[in-house]
Amino acid sequence: MIKFKNVSVVYDKDIIGLDNVSFKIDDGEFVFLVGKTGAGKSSAIKLLTGEIKPTEGDVIVDGIIVNSLKRSKIPYLRRAQGVVFQDFRLLPNKTVYENVAFAMEITGKKKKEIKRKVPKILDIVGLGERAGNYPNEISGGEQQRVSIARALVNSPSLIIADEPTGNLDVETSAEVMSLFEEINKMGTTIVMVTHSEKIVNDMQKRVIQLENGCIVRDEEKGVYNLGI
Amino acid sequence: MTVASFITVSCCLFLFGVFLLFTLNMNSISEQIESQCEIIARIDFDVSAQQQQDIYNTILNLENVKTAELETQEQALTNFKKELGDDAVVLEGLEGKRFLRSSVKISLKDIRKSEEAVKYIQKINGVAEVENRQDIVSKVVKFTAAVKKGSVMAMLILLIIAIFIIQNTIKLSVHARGKEIQIMKFVGATDHFIRMPFVIEGVMIGTLGFIASFVIITFGYNAVISSVSSIIRLFDFVPLQACITPLGISMALFGVLMGALGSGLSIKRHLKV
Ligand SMILES: Nc1ncnc2c1ncn2[C@@H]1O[C@H](COP(=O)(O)OP(=O)(O)OP(=O)(O)O)[C@@H](O)[C@H]1O
Ligand SMILES: [Mg+2]
Repeated sequence: MIKFKNVSVVYDKDIIGLDNVSFKIDDGEFVFLVGKTGAGKSSAIKLLTGEIKPTEGDVIVDGIIVNSLKRSKIPYLRRAQGVVFQDFRLLPNKTVYENVAFAMEITGKKKKEIKRKVPKILDIVGLGERAGNYPNEISGGEQQRVSIARALVNSPSLIIADEPTGNLDVETSAEVMSLFEEINKMGTTIVMVTHSEKIVNDMQKRVIQLENGCIVRDEEKGVYNLGI
Repeated sequence: MTVASFITVSCCLFLFGVFLLFTLNMNSISEQIESQCEIIARIDFDVSAQQQQDIYNTILNLENVKTAELETQEQALTNFKKELGDDAVVLEGLEGKRFLRSSVKISLKDIRKSEEAVKYIQKINGVAEVENRQDIVSKVVKFTAAVKKGSVMAMLILLIIAIFIIQNTIKLSVHARGKEIQIMKFVGATDHFIRMPFVIEGVMIGTLGFIASFVIITFGYNAVISSVSSIIRLFDFVPLQACITPLGISMALFGVLMGALGSGLSIKRHLKV
């Protein structure tokens, strides 16, 4: 469960990222975060992964107050989350297989388990055949699927995605989205930032809309409509 | 990263080794000079052998006296003859005449207190005069102290420069991998996990740099020593066997530390995500 309690983020020079935001996301939910550029969506995501701290308020994930976690504990928080970025963030000199395996290696998993699990996950995202390729040898959509595989491999209860389809064409986006939907059906909570009207409208999930750092809309089975 | 860092580490270690050897030799030379700066107490002509021995014992028992050596008139004459060699004929006929005094050659533990020692020895009954090259002694003391200070300073400066260069060489290459490091952090890797391979790489580079510079220095040292000591015969230089262990250990430590610290520190900035 995710809980934002009166969360504000103020950057340098009094730039406001989030302004007294409170909301709750239950386990197994699929939530879209929408809003115009600079509305504060990425700020909300970065709070969840511990990349930034709120200036005020508490960010609670699975009962843990993220903002009071020690720096040295942040990696363990991130292992319980799968994070997918717009720019994929794959390690360029590791193969598809190694990129996914890396996420397991850092948690100290045994080689045997890694060898068993990584091919399975790659099959799930449809990349079983490309295991030996390097990121620059595969397409953007495929790279994003690698990063989804990496996010999935440690069986997180929460997947966080910041514009995961931002660099993909409509068709590929749809493929990637159906992957997310399947993951969600298996019980994983998904929080996704997107600018895609089509995706939000097609998926019919909960929508939280931010504007100037404030929540202006929170709807079950919402649509994209930013009201402009 | 590897080639540039390796070269930098090697050069720094080489300089470090050169300074170390220089300091070791300076120390040894100044000790030699200090020990050569003897005080000579000349004894009155009409002092018996027993009294001479007493004077010698009194001097030897002084707190600040390191060594003392009694040279009787007879020994002085023999030595003088030896020094003159073929010219010793001039001494013929002088045997039995009292023109050479017995003397005690003294070296001090602390030559800064030579003046006190001289004053004391002068008062001993039977001592005719005390010869002390006071000005030379104090100059030597000042000179060696300055040289020691200078070489320690030079080593410190070198250390700072070395760390600075290493840090920057490694920083450049780490910067290229900065994004990679950040990705690792985003996926949940601990600082320790990320830092480990960098530190290992740094240690390896330090070790390689040590081996290279150590080989060059040990071979170079022997060559330099043999050519320099043919010009400067006054002093004995520290032989390689005597300093190879401390030299090796300190260079190895310096190299490994430089590599490990350099790489460990330079990725610090990228870990902050
Ligand atoms: N590191 C930062 N330093 C200063 N200001 C920042 C920083 N990060 C974000 N901001 C500012 O905070 C506000 C919210 O930014 P945020 O990245 O959360 O927006 P966003 O909703 O993700 O926008 P986009 O859709 O363009 O990604 C913006 O005004 C932005 O300029
Ligand atoms: Mg954003």
